[in-house]
Amino acid sequence: MHRPPYRPALVLVFVVLGLLIAVAFNTTSRLTEVRSGRASDLVDVVQSLEQQRDDLQNRLAELRSDLARLEREAAADSGVSKSFSRELDRVRQAAGLSAVTGSGVEVVLGDGSEVAPGTDPNDYLIHDTDIAAVVNALFVGGAEAVEINGERLVATTPIRCAGTTVLVNSARLGSPYVIRAIGDPAVLEQAVLGDESASLLFDAYMSQYGLQVSLARSSDLMVAGYRGSMRPQYVRPARGGA
Amino acid sequence: MLALVLALALGVTLGLLTNVSVPVAWLTYLGVAVLAAIDACLGGVKASLEETFDDKVFVSGFLTNTLMAAFIVFVGDRIGVRELYLAAVVAFGMRVFDNLGTVRQLLFHRWGWE
Repeated sequence: MHRPPYRPALVLVFVVLGLLIAVAFNTTSRLTEVRSGRASDLVDVVQSLEQQRDDLQNRLAELRSDLARLEREAAADSGVSKSFSRELDRVRQAAGLSAVTGSGVEVVLGDGSEVAPGTDPNDYLIHDTDIAAVVNALFVGGAEAVEINGERLVATTPIRCAGTTVLVNSARLGSPYVIRAIGDPAVLEQAVLGDESASLLFDAYMSQYGLQVSLARSSDLMVAGYRGSMRPQYVRPARGGA
Repeated sequence: MLALVLALALGVTLGLLTNVSVPVAWLTYLGVAVLAAIDACLGGVKASLEETFDDKVFVSGFLTNTLMAAFIVFVGDRIGVRELYLAAVVAFGMRVFDNLGTVRQLLFHRWGWE
């Protein structure tokens, strides 16, 4: 058995092969380093951004609570805010949203009790037109607040016939109808009794059909506030309007 | 045989100590070149054992295989057939195992283990 004749060239090339393998290994390990380094950089970025986000969220919560506190303080201290608050109350009252008291008159309209044979039963009933006539007369007399059976009259209030009842706002009312109006009692009374349509109730109709009609002055009436919804769908504030 | 193993270890040690590396983009070329170099070296060992070894044939074969392997992969990248390196890997891989088998048999024969 003799040793194979390995030539120097073969040995030399094996050294080169070793070098090549080492270079490939170096490059691969550098690649891994680069990748893992980049990944850890990104992890750092993410963590720092998360920290920033948490800080900002805390700051936001802080600012919101500050704002709420400042609003409360402003509402308590500021004259402007107070005057807005008063203005709001005044507007609510004018719109009929709050209950009010004052002197005025109370008008009661009740159906007739007995229908005479051979006559129209409708003549013995209080109709929506009767109520509307009284209410219009009261407004002529300067009524500042009017309710019918606890239904406050506001800008959108209808008074109309609905079968055997009268519809005021969205409430169906029946006889007797108690109409309360706040204003000067004497002027209101004069306005109702002096009105061509309304006065007929207190005169001819009352005696002829047995209607329960009365009018009383009062120095202390209470008129309820409007309880219905006010959610306009179509109206918008007019531009430049007062 | 011991001389060859020592030579290989010397080369690896030198490479690791100098920590030479190539740009990452060249890694595929280098890998295929390494494969071709292993093939060429096994071919050289085989030729030595068969006593047909020739310096010029071996060195030129080594250089040509290595460079051409890397070049083919490079061309594949350039002409849009990036998978061409697979052809080189498969071809050289098969040759490596072929040569390995032959070398093993020749060594057995030489060492009288048959």
